[in-house]
Amino acid sequence: MPSFKLDGKTIPFEPGESIIGAARKAGVEIPHYCWHPGLSAPANCRMCLVEIKPAAGQRPIQLDVLSLDPKTGEYKYQPKPKLQPACQYPAVDGQEVLSDSSTHVGDARKAVQELLLLNHPVDCPICDQSGECKLQDYWLEHQKTQKRMRDEPIHKPKAVVFGPTIVYDAERCVMCTRCIRFMEEVAKDPVLDMRERGNLNEISVAPGRQLDGNYTLMTEHVCPVGALTATDFRFKARVWFLRSVKSVCQGCATGCNAWLDYDPRTSSVYRYRPRENAEVNKFWMCDPGMLSYKRAHEGRVAEPRIAGKTTTVQRALESAKKHFDGVPRESIAIVFHARYSNEDNWALKELAITLLGTRMFYRSGGAPGTGDDILIHADKNSNTAGLNQLAPSARPFADLLADIKKGAVTHAIALGGATPGDPEADLAELRGLKSLVTISAHDGPLTKAAAVVLPATSWAEAGGTYTNAKGLRQISEKAIEPIGSSQPAWKVLAELGRVLGVEPSWSKLKDIRARLLAVEMPSQPDVSAQAE
Amino acid sequence: MGTAFPKKPVSKAAVVPVTYADRNISTQSFLPEIIKGLGVSMRHFFHNTREMMRGDRPDPVTERLDEGVTTISYPEQKRPYPERFRGLHRLTQREDASPRCVACLCCSTACPAQCIHIEAGEYAEGDSRRGYERYPVKFVIDELRCIFCGYCVEACPCDAIRMDTGAHAAPYDTRDQFIYEKDLLISFPGRDGSFATDNPRHEPGDPTHPGLSREQQH
Repeated sequence: MPSFKLDGKTIPFEPGESIIGAARKAGVEIPHYCWHPGLSAPANCRMCLVEIKPAAGQRPIQLDVLSLDPKTGEYKYQPKPKLQPACQYPAVDGQEVLSDSSTHVGDARKAVQELLLLNHPVDCPICDQSGECKLQDYWLEHQKTQKRMRDEPIHKPKAVVFGPTIVYDAERCVMCTRCIRFMEEVAKDPVLDMRERGNLNEISVAPGRQLDGNYTLMTEHVCPVGALTATDFRFKARVWFLRSVKSVCQGCATGCNAWLDYDPRTSSVYRYRPRENAEVNKFWMCDPGMLSYKRAHEGRVAEPRIAGKTTTVQRALESAKKHFDGVPRESIAIVFHARYSNEDNWALKELAITLLGTRMFYRSGGAPGTGDDILIHADKNSNTAGLNQLAPSARPFADLLADIKKGAVTHAIALGGATPGDPEADLAELRGLKSLVTISAHDGPLTKAAAVVLPATSWAEAGGTYTNAKGLRQISEKAIEPIGSSQPAWKVLAELGRVLGVEPSWSKLKDIRARLLAVEMPSQPDVSAQAE
Repeated sequence: MGTAFPKKPVSKAAVVPVTYADRNISTQSFLPEIIKGLGVSMRHFFHNTREMMRGDRPDPVTERLDEGVTTISYPEQKRPYPERFRGLHRLTQREDASPRCVACLCCSTACPAQCIHIEAGEYAEGDSRRGYERYPVKFVIDELRCIFCGYCVEACPCDAIRMDTGAHAAPYDTRDQFIYEKDLLISFPGRDGSFATDNPRHEPGDPTHPGLSREQQH
């Protein structure tokens, strides 16, 4: 593999790769605004300028410029090398590149940073990017001087509504054009462009259009400064109070990797941020997926219920036992759910096979939707592939409804609330069951028809593995504390097993994971990637 | 009756016998001793008074008055505090008497005592500041927990919180009286008596303000 030297460090690269891209892969950051690993390189911010030493036998590209000699106080001609943008300059084998170690590069960065902040309003207190802003970070790293311009800065429109999800602030914009390029190159909807020039230029939406579609929130996430802010997150929180865990989006079967940002003080989830994974979602996420963080709080089952009335966990478990008294254990139907983790479904299967002896397996899940060829999958369940591997014999939900009608199924234990069909129709059919015990995090026909509902944690409150449509098993970590008296479904199932008079074979998540790996999916790699 | 910690027998020579007065009514009522003590005080009183009347010794009160008394009648009189004395907090006002605070939470983040609690909210529909900035729905300072370090004032990017009231927390009866809410904090004037600050602010609608929409030119 060819390699070049960056500040003395050897960095390998693929032929055709840029200096900044190869450095990033090696874990070295060259400061940049406009460059994004998933987008084209326009080289317009000039922050990533580096000094490239001439090859042996070649003349250096340099100019003599007047510069002040601080010792004598006189101006002298001194050679200054031509700096190159690392985002556009391809890496060359054996080349020597200076970044942090070059004084010329340091001066250039300081000057670029000062230029970008020249007309910046410095309204950090009312800016939602504050705390994760590249301008703040690079000011501290590379500038650290006050503004020298005494004039009133150029004022530009603020709080311009670009569409239902995005608000634009032209004053804070550094014109990196990442949002324009994202809409053009990834979302394939070139709705944004730049207008005017110099210090008057600003991002604008195509006339007659607004910034809409399924990939608008990504423009806010590619924006390195606070110019684009999401209506959903705007004014909601200060980012330095938030903590992030590595999560997996539950919106569809794609299983995009995401950071789930939550406030540990109030135990509430605030947003998703895309997490880089070259195998799944690269750097991107869709709008419906990014807004699906709300499901951590909306439509939740927080407390156990007996016939619709709130009760305690102990009473609910006793009631569940009464419902199954005298019922042959092998005649209890088991309903798996494609929105629950492998661990939860595994625990339900284990309970069914080894403890109850039933093999009447059915499967449920959310209703399918529409997909696209970028990220969105038509299957709106996060763990369909995992359930296929775990319980291949599980019959579709329609069969369950048919069997209830026939009277073949009278008692059932179900995981999850959502059903694939029309909620009202499914609910009416499910009411034909004599007794249904549902363990669920969210409300749905399966909880509404249930005699006993036991609350389970959502993906945000417990760790779990989810298998996406490509068959990748991905771990989603725990963010907030469980809501109400909910517990992870595998724990609830263990308690249910104990109440039904059988000792469950699992007590820790670790046990389940070990057995999942050993038995079900021996060779699937676990994919977790680092953030940008 | 055995003792838990047997002591060494006390040597006879070290023992000093103490005699106690008899417990009769005159000793138990303490009256004779009180009268005896009062007698000593009165003797000194008349002795000093006589010497002062004769002019044998100066009057200590008038003597101190001549020297210049350092005691003052607080709280009617107050000592001047230094110019940069950090007193109770106040929230500075805009021209329309609303707080300058934009609820950025910098002060509560900087506060080492964690005594500032802010709940941010968005301006109501139709307000010219809606969509532009936030305001504090709640702004509470626990003055009892505050250590008066002044970090909140340093952190504030809007000059919205100041400690220039020149006052310090009064000794209250209960702890909840030290919990200062937004309305109270905004009612304190600075030392110069004003509620504003000298630093200008660009309000939406001002000529210097950047404007809220593309149509609203400036």
